[in-house]
Amino acid sequence: MNGKCLASGTNDLHEREALSSLYNRRDLVRRAAALGISVPTLVALLGTGANAQGTPVGDPPEGDPILIGASVSTTGSNGRTGLYQQEAYLLWEAQKNASGGLLGRPVEMVIYDDQSDPTTGSRLYERLITEDEVDLVLGPYASGVTLAAAQITERYGYPMLVAGASAGEIWDSGFQYVFGVYSIAQDYFRDIILNIAPAQGYTTAAVIYEDAVFPLSTGEGAVAHCETAGIEVLVEETYPLRATDVSSILTRIGEAEPDMLIGGSYLPDSVLIMRQAKELGINVDLYAFSVGAAQPDFLDTLGEDANYVLGPSMWEPKIETTGNQEFLEAYRAMWDRDPDYHAATGYAGCQILEQALTNIGDVNLEALREELLQLTMTTILPGEYSVDETGRQTGHIPLTVQWQEGAKVIVAPEENRTGELQLPTPPWDERG
Amino acid sequence: MDTLQVILSGVLLGGVYALFAAGLNMIFGVMRVINLAHGELMMLGAYITFFASDQAGLNPLVSLPLSAAALLILGLLLQFALVERVVNQPLLSSLLLTFGLSTLMMGVALNLWTANYRSTAWAPLTGNWDVFGLAVSRSRFVAFVIALLVTGGTYLFLRRSTFGKAIRATSQNAEVAQICGIDVRRVRLVTFAMGSAMAAIAGSLIAMIFTISPEMGRMFIGKAFAIIVLGGLGSFVGALFGALSLGVGETLAAYWTNTQLAEGVAYVILLIVLLVRPSGFFGRAE
Repeated sequence: MNGKCLASGTNDLHEREALSSLYNRRDLVRRAAALGISVPTLVALLGTGANAQGTPVGDPPEGDPILIGASVSTTGSNGRTGLYQQEAYLLWEAQKNASGGLLGRPVEMVIYDDQSDPTTGSRLYERLITEDEVDLVLGPYASGVTLAAAQITERYGYPMLVAGASAGEIWDSGFQYVFGVYSIAQDYFRDIILNIAPAQGYTTAAVIYEDAVFPLSTGEGAVAHCETAGIEVLVEETYPLRATDVSSILTRIGEAEPDMLIGGSYLPDSVLIMRQAKELGINVDLYAFSVGAAQPDFLDTLGEDANYVLGPSMWEPKIETTGNQEFLEAYRAMWDRDPDYHAATGYAGCQILEQALTNIGDVNLEALREELLQLTMTTILPGEYSVDETGRQTGHIPLTVQWQEGAKVIVAPEENRTGELQLPTPPWDERG
Repeated sequence: MDTLQVILSGVLLGGVYALFAAGLNMIFGVMRVINLAHGELMMLGAYITFFASDQAGLNPLVSLPLSAAALLILGLLLQFALVERVVNQPLLSSLLLTFGLSTLMMGVALNLWTANYRSTAWAPLTGNWDVFGLAVSRSRFVAFVIALLVTGGTYLFLRRSTFGKAIRATSQNAEVAQICGIDVRRVRLVTFAMGSAMAAIAGSLIAMIFTISPEMGRMFIGKAFAIIVLGGLGSFVGALFGALSLGVGETLAAYWTNTQLAEGVAYVILLIVLLVRPSGFFGRAE
């Protein structure tokens, strides 16, 4: 395994680097052992599947490694989510090196931890490009960091596949080298508001979102979709980053009695809102949250209180896409846990990068940009990869999931459905 | 009714603030040392409760005495080895020392436990009790009651017990106290340890209600200063009054305006009180 996992702090950089790399190395060694056993299986699995364009299996890659740099939030408020993306990057790296490499050369990931901090993230991309002199970059996790990092990668002309962010704002900024991997945040609640809500006869909503790039995009998108669907937004409000108490907003929502509560959130705040809604006895018919509601941690933390909650998901293990089954098995073998959609988008980013490089046959940043603009391909994500002239993703199809008795069920779109919608949510005092 | 609901949430939150601020205030009263590391002591208490629950499955109420005892000992060590040396020294010495301690503890915690947000949820304490149509959050109510018991107990200890009187005497005038035969050094040792244990209990209670992270101390210490300034430096009753006012002020501000603005309430209160009544509502002018 070539992956270097370092972490860097804002001030006590060295101290944190030393410790975090130790921490990660120990982790990697353990996992590499698991991988060692499964490499032949992996190779066999991927020789034909997700790696259809790869070099023939068996040839050990030679020559200078292709350095691919990224910073991912593996600690901090988004750490639990970002870690999935990093694991996907490292899985792809291991697979490439076990199956002939990329363009016949070994792949080496250089990954830092930005601690969920956009300033740190942009500084790390600067360092990747100028000090580590990486050949290529992959996107960080979360929209705030991506927006900051894009300022840097754009300046140096590095095409970046945004494998962990979706705020529409990223593609409104006029960047030339930034390419979306999955649907923009504004569309996360589209299915819920335009299809599910009218079918249930819901006419009012409260939309609350965290004061950060991505939640703002999802929240504002939700409000716009409500307008289209003729749903009245009774409460619209942002709450501060890393809020610890949202009881006052929830009390106001309780007064307004909307049919739906839609949260533009990450994991910690979606959990906080549900917990305090229960504490305050606030009841609505439909709860929906971005990011948090699609993650296994949501269930682990909330237990039965997670039931009935809806959320957008960019990918689910059960969908039938090219190479999905192989990805699932390889991920489980390497990391000892199930991937969530952030792992899948990270992996899809790698697949697209690989395909584009294979098509142009060389590591050339300008040619890569041209290729990424016009490429259309299927990945493990639902829909396909294709972007418009700004680099905004247009081919991906987002899913909507619901927690039902401790299991995640895909409820939309029709063709991917794995179960029936369960609504309305019973009031708290009628739940077990 | 909803305003009542919001005020209730604020009062319940204020109880925990009070416990935290009271410990800080007590230490200041006795030693004239502003303990900038108080927030980190609280953070350690919160993590003890978190790990006790996460690793050993202990419910937060059981781990509470553990976290108090652990921090009592740490408090004794800190006072004995470090803080004692800066008592009666220029203010800057103690500020530098406690700021250093704060940064050190936070850094170590970041390294050991990462910056991830964590939370404990003990099922019986999620949800609410319905009292006359008001939703009383279980975890907040239990935290409030414990915070008041500990704060009240400490108050009685200071008022009634001989040692408590010695602490108050030292707080009023250390020199005279010493002349009267009080072992001032020992008083300081006990005070710092007690203050640390109070911070730990506050931390454990906060771990029951909120998500925790190594940086949580910084947020709470800002609030604690506002509380102490509002109530009056060194005044125990003042800290309680200040804490409840801040709790209610924050939740009401969030209710009437928005949660974003509410974050600033503590600092607005701080500013106004400093302008209008610099000694606080229960403090003595110096």
